Amino acid sequence: MTEPVHHVIIGSGSAGFGAARTLRENDADCRITMFTMDAIPFYQRYELPQIFRGRSDWRDLLAVPPSFYEDHRIDLRRRCRVADVDGANRKISLSHQETVAYDRLLVCAGGRGYLPENLTGYGELIHGFGSFEAAMQTYRDLPEGGRVVMIGGDMVGIDLALTLLDTGYGVTLITNSQTFWPHELGAEERAPLLDVLRARGVTVLEDARAVRVEARNGGAPARCVTLDDGAQVQGDVVMAFCGLASSVEFMLRAAVDIERGLLVNPQLRTTNETIWAAGDVCQIWHDSEKAYKFYHGWKNVRVMGELAARNMQGANEVFDVDVEESIGIGEDGEIVSTFWTRGN
Amino acid sequence: MNKSGTDIQFAICGSAGDGTIASGDIVKRAAAAVGFHVIAFDVYPPEIRGFGKCISRIRVSAEQAYSLKEKTDVFISLNDSHAIPHVGEVRDFGAVIYDDRSIAPIREGAHITAHIRPAQIPYGLPIRQISEQATNAARSRNIVVLGYMAGLLKLPSRPFREVIAAKFATKPQAVIDANIRAFDAGLEAGRKVFRLDDVDVGTVPDHGGSEAVMMTGNGAIVRGFLEAGIQSYFGYPITPATSIMERLAVEMPKQGGKFLQTEDEISAIAATIGAGFAGSRAATATSGPGLALMTEMLGLGVMAEVPSVVVVSQRGGPSTGLPTKTEQSDLNLAVFGGSGDAQRIVIAPTNVEGCYRCAGMAFEIAETYQTPVIVLIDLYLSNRYETVFPSHENTFAPKPRKVPELAEGEPYKRFAFTESHISPRALPGDAGMVHTVTGLEHNELGRPGDGDHMRMNAKRHEKLISATRYPGLTVAKRFGDAGKVDVGILGWGSTFGEILEAMFEAQDAGISCSAMKAVMLSPLPVDELRAFFDDCRTVLVPELNYEGQFANLVSGALGRPVVRLNRTVATPMPVADILAEVKRLAAEADSPERIPATAGVGS
Repeated sequence: MTEPVHHVIIGSGSAGFGAARTLRENDADCRITMFTMDAIPFYQRYELPQIFRGRSDWRDLLAVPPSFYEDHRIDLRRRCRVADVDGANRKISLSHQETVAYDRLLVCAGGRGYLPENLTGYGELIHGFGSFEAAMQTYRDLPEGGRVVMIGGDMVGIDLALTLLDTGYGVTLITNSQTFWPHELGAEERAPLLDVLRARGVTVLEDARAVRVEARNGGAPARCVTLDDGAQVQGDVVMAFCGLASSVEFMLRAAVDIERGLLVNPQLRTTNETIWAAGDVCQIWHDSEKAYKFYHGWKNVRVMGELAARNMQGANEVFDVDVEESIGIGEDGEIVSTFWTRGN
Repeated sequence: MNKSGTDIQFAICGSAGDGTIASGDIVKRAAAAVGFHVIAFDVYPPEIRGFGKCISRIRVSAEQAYSLKEKTDVFISLNDSHAIPHVGEVRDFGAVIYDDRSIAPIREGAHITAHIRPAQIPYGLPIRQISEQATNAARSRNIVVLGYMAGLLKLPSRPFREVIAAKFATKPQAVIDANIRAFDAGLEAGRKVFRLDDVDVGTVPDHGGSEAVMMTGNGAIVRGFLEAGIQSYFGYPITPATSIMERLAVEMPKQGGKFLQTEDEISAIAATIGAGFAGSRAATATSGPGLALMTEMLGLGVMAEVPSVVVVSQRGGPSTGLPTKTEQSDLNLAVFGGSGDAQRIVIAPTNVEGCYRCAGMAFEIAETYQTPVIVLIDLYLSNRYETVFPSHENTFAPKPRKVPELAEGEPYKRFAFTESHISPRALPGDAGMVHTVTGLEHNELGRPGDGDHMRMNAKRHEKLISATRYPGLTVAKRFGDAGKVDVGILGWGSTFGEILEAMFEAQDAGISCSAMKAVMLSPLPVDELRAFFDDCRTVLVPELNYEGQFANLVSGALGRPVVRLNRTVATPMPVADILAEVKRLAAEADSPERIPATAGVGS
């Protein structure tokens, strides 16, 4: 009797979850193990602003109940950090010194919030929003009616900013090149969108660069951001939304090609025949542009995870951009992004 | 039982030497110190030698709890290989705390994260590393993890520090300081963690100024003995009764008592009966194998009508059996063991406070009825910790002895037939009361050879009948719904806590249900039992033995059918098992085709 194929998935977000579900749907016998740093099973990150609308129980955000994993025989290993991938011997090493063998590996580790180089020294003073725990900490630290100083303002940040305004908070946005990321917009394209934000009540500071963040000990508001022109902006919480940096550090010995992310072919396979990648962690070869490209946004990411899973099981499907990048202003005067508009 | 406010079960699992039991002890004492009710039970390896798996389970509640819960709320692993089989005990959205580092490579699946279910909340921390940073040693891992837990759950830290300081009070100050540092380091780490579990810490209950005392069943036995003025103890060590003699060896000399470790159990009971004959409040304690050796001498105690107290803490049997596991399979031996018709008094407390009360009253009962009294407990009750809120009044102290009065020239009849069947008892040395005491059948004077065996047998049995009405002793008590019910649960000993919890859950489920505990098992309180049976459509008897020893005893005495629920699983009776059976019986009570219960031995 042969051992069932062991699929290991690193990451439990939209891509990883979609992959696991697809693997099980197509093969009742295979073994599926997911590793994630998170403590919470898969939930949609874009739901996190809902915390400010009173949905503060993480269980309300879950995409599926915890029993789903057991029912579908998916071993979900949380709070596990992958330290190393040995692509030649098909083994991963976890930080607690456990080694796990795989037959096929899918990397969906996503990315972590990017912080501009000049602000990395102030990380402890900047609130995060990359996980439920971080979002809740922000929610707790932000006084009622308080103000958030937002640096950058990628689409996750914009979504949060609008929610904050709806729920009685103030937002000061210090724009930079990452504003509206992953949409890559020039100044002219950004201008009308920023006007929408101003109209909604956001204080927008253009052509300014945050250079220092300070805690105002015992004072209120609790944070002070100094701009490159010496001006100071005060807020209760400082947050940075400057896009994502791919989480690939554990892949350095995996014998796969890495640029800013894991390089994969249109079938989402890396340069190692047993390793695939999907989601924000990978750059996909775009044949017509002759370049590797990131495809962000939860809809693209989910499609990638499912496609990679099918290819791991023998298919040969090519990733075709499911959602074209587009951002604009809708008939209702609101910002509409094809990547980030909520949907099914 | 659904309780309001705090109701948390902690479990700490590690290997012997990890400080597992010590850390559990700190949790229970810290919780009791701030006023919570505590019920706790430690599980040791099946061998008595000190290695293998240890688990300390502690239930902390604002309201009185009666047993450990089926599911744990907060689980701590100090050793993954031991802890992994128990992760499944953690309820959904409960916490699992573990070391997220390893000092050596481990095989696939050997880390606890491979076994934490998706609905359980993992909390990993570098326990060893924090211990080494705080104390330069890894041995304080168990204290670090307590600090982490306290920080995570926002528990008050002062009681922990005080208990830790008290626990190491006999060590150099540096040891105390190191452990406090370890606790504080864990506390700091725990406070930084965002909680995802839904464990409700609640608020500390108000007991109106009454101070909680935490005891094990064995500890409560000792306290009861001491308050009753025990004068002589003779014992031979045996698990799980040994801690009784260990404590008495320390405490008895302080109040002028005599303590002797004998060469075996036969000597222990012989000396106890000898001391009892001399008028000393005398006791011994043993377990099933020891009781088996003592039965001949117990017969002497019955025949010679000498008071004595024997504590029997049951463990898994027969033979050496399972020395560190609990069972209720020595009931037959306690009630019937020995030759001849040798009825004695057997009382079985159901909780720690009951141990204290039964031990405290046992001497007076033995003296009143001039016969051995067996206090029958088991390992689960011996080692179980509970908070007790005792009264400050000692009601167990010996009362002045009444020396028999004789008319001029009247011979002293040590075994005189009386209306109560209890004869006036003189002690050796009482003027004019010289008498003979023997294991041979005898006449009223005590002389062997010409006694009326039939009449003496009747005297020895009938004098015990009134014991079921002994003042101040609860021989049986009913709980739950009054009047007619669909299901009655009848229990004895340590199992009754689980029975009560199951009864509460059954009531919550809308089942008409009562429970009765029988404390006096010999003679049986038949009136109370009969009234209970009269009210119950079905009577379930859960007990931790294979044969249904109590079920046999009761159904034989009453001639009534019972439904048996027997487990010999080396652990306390699962509440879920009792509840499932109650639900089944309740459903049958509603059904026109009822399954008949069984009656009598072997049926």
